[in-house]
Amino acid sequence: MFRHTRLRLITLALLAIGAVLYGAFTGYFGLEVLTEIAILAILVLSLDLVAGFGGMVSLCHGALMGTGAYAFAMLASDLGLSPAAAMAGAIGLTGAVAALIGAICARSHGIYFIMATLAFSQMGYSLVFESPWFGGDDGLSDVPRPDLSAIGLDLNDPRTFTFWCLAALALAYLVAAQVLRSGMGRSMVGLMHNEKRLRALGLTAWRVKAVAFGISGAIAGLAGVLAAQQTQYISPGLMAWTVSGEALVVVILGGLGTLVGPLVGALLFVMLRHEVSAFTPYWHAVVGMILVAVVMSRANGVYGWIEHRLSVRGAHGKPIEPEVENA
Amino acid sequence: MLETRNLDKSFGAIHVTRNVALKLEKGERRVILGPNGAGKTTLFNQLVGEIQPSSGSIHLAGEDVTRLSVADRARRGLSRSYQKNTLFDGLTVWENLGLAAAIALGKGTGLMRDPLHDPEVIETVKEVAALVNLGRSLHAPVAAVSYGVRRQLEVGIALATRPKVLLMDEPTSGVGPEMSRGFHRLLKNLPRDLTVLIIEHDMDLAFDVADTITVLNYGEVVFDGLPEAARNSALLKEIYLGSWEDA
Ligand SMILES: Nc1ncnc2c1ncn2[C@@H]1O[C@H](COP(=O)(O)OP(=O)(O)OP(=O)(O)O)[C@@H](O)[C@H]1O
Ligand SMILES: [Mg+2]
Repeated sequence: MFRHTRLRLITLALLAIGAVLYGAFTGYFGLEVLTEIAILAILVLSLDLVAGFGGMVSLCHGALMGTGAYAFAMLASDLGLSPAAAMAGAIGLTGAVAALIGAICARSHGIYFIMATLAFSQMGYSLVFESPWFGGDDGLSDVPRPDLSAIGLDLNDPRTFTFWCLAALALAYLVAAQVLRSGMGRSMVGLMHNEKRLRALGLTAWRVKAVAFGISGAIAGLAGVLAAQQTQYISPGLMAWTVSGEALVVVILGGLGTLVGPLVGALLFVMLRHEVSAFTPYWHAVVGMILVAVVMSRANGVYGWIEHRLSVRGAHGKPIEPEVENA
Repeated sequence: MLETRNLDKSFGAIHVTRNVALKLEKGERRVILGPNGAGKTTLFNQLVGEIQPSSGSIHLAGEDVTRLSVADRARRGLSRSYQKNTLFDGLTVWENLGLAAAIALGKGTGLMRDPLHDPEVIETVKEVAALVNLGRSLHAPVAAVSYGVRRQLEVGIALATRPKVLLMDEPTSGVGPEMSRGFHRLLKNLPRDLTVLIIEHDMDLAFDVADTITVLNYGEVVFDGLPEAARNSALLKEIYLGSWEDA
């Protein structure tokens, strides 16, 4: 069961302080990198929520992020909604799509679940790629950023935009952590461990999965909205299944089922990409080797390994110890 | 409280349940006896809805539940424990019980509160833990506790839903005499209005706790009556061969 161990809180605090300090003092390029990390972190957070705590390993989270991006762009440009309303609409719509996918895939498990989500991902990709309605191959440009001048913020300023994304990441984390500590989240973890028993206790399994997948999808949708705002241009590449694959790599690199680990994973992944690609175009191979090393070490990712070394119990934190301990 | 009518189940050519008619009154303690492969577990699976009968019907508190899902029947107060431990292995003993209590209390799907810190859930867990004697292992992960403790937890999870009808599939299978006596005491301490159906191989326990006894053989009810009558039945002696004399 999810719990904020001391190590997790310390890690979160270090990450937050690091991000704020770096964001405050770095130059243009640094801000780009930080924004990239924040958006990837939101995506992998949403994936860890269902994969790490619900056993629902998804290969459609990239497509869900893409759905959020396209929905935002189209609601804002084609329907002329204000960017703020378009954001809310895009996140809600992505959540609804994800809930539907979750409900449909709820009966399948393991590899079949992965394949079913991949199928949805491919459907989304081909729809966007083939249809002129979505700009086809060319994608959509002139995606707006919200106007926050009312509170004295200009999101066209790179630093402000970076902090906008960091704030969204903080919100996404709080939502994910809240879900995991709610009845829904507890039940989802139970489902991962023993679905049959949970049914016998009176839980309607598909409904829990659909709601959890929907919330996770909404968070992925938020990542998509921010990705669209960042480049102000979107292309079908955003919907490609490789985006989902990459997100899964980051979750595993960081530590599946730890919620904090994937944040560390996103940080490492983006840093590696920038550092290694400066030396060699084969940075994918380097990341691949690191991933193999992490998986072979049988540790639960980089963060999971640290947790283990500091002998905090397992991937799901220490057992919950409510007040009844000495009863 | 719980009733079956003409319950029949075949797996292809194998006829596992034959025309079973059971009727449990509220608060009744009934023990099901029968040799290996008699169809006892398969009967439980049909009662809770994990498998569908080929024909016949199941009634819970007067309502026909034959077509209801496992979860729907559970929400109506039907709870079971399994012959083979069916636990949440990655969680602690406490979390196992807490999850069961939370779901039964309708707190397993909310998005705001943490049910594991809910006073009602905590109260239930404490009570059940005391009942099945899990106090000392409460905060250990399931993976770290002994088989006997897991066996107690298996029943504990079923009890944590505060059921109206409790089905227990060989709760004492594989545990030593000491723990077996513990279960014995547990059964005596259960609320008197709880309807209990137990599959049991331990004759002492069976005769001691049973109000009534049902014997299954090749999927068929071959005896249905009071424990005293069962003790003297020639047919049962035959089915159980030598083991009967030990009882
Ligand atoms: N899903 C199934 N498919 C085919 N046959 C099955 C299935 N489930 C059970 N059986 C068969 O039904 C018969 C009864 O099995 P069941 O598990 O109900 O017996 P039991 O009385 O519980 O025995 P035990 O005392 O060993 O637990 C056995 O012959 C078993 O092989
Ligand atoms: Mg059996």
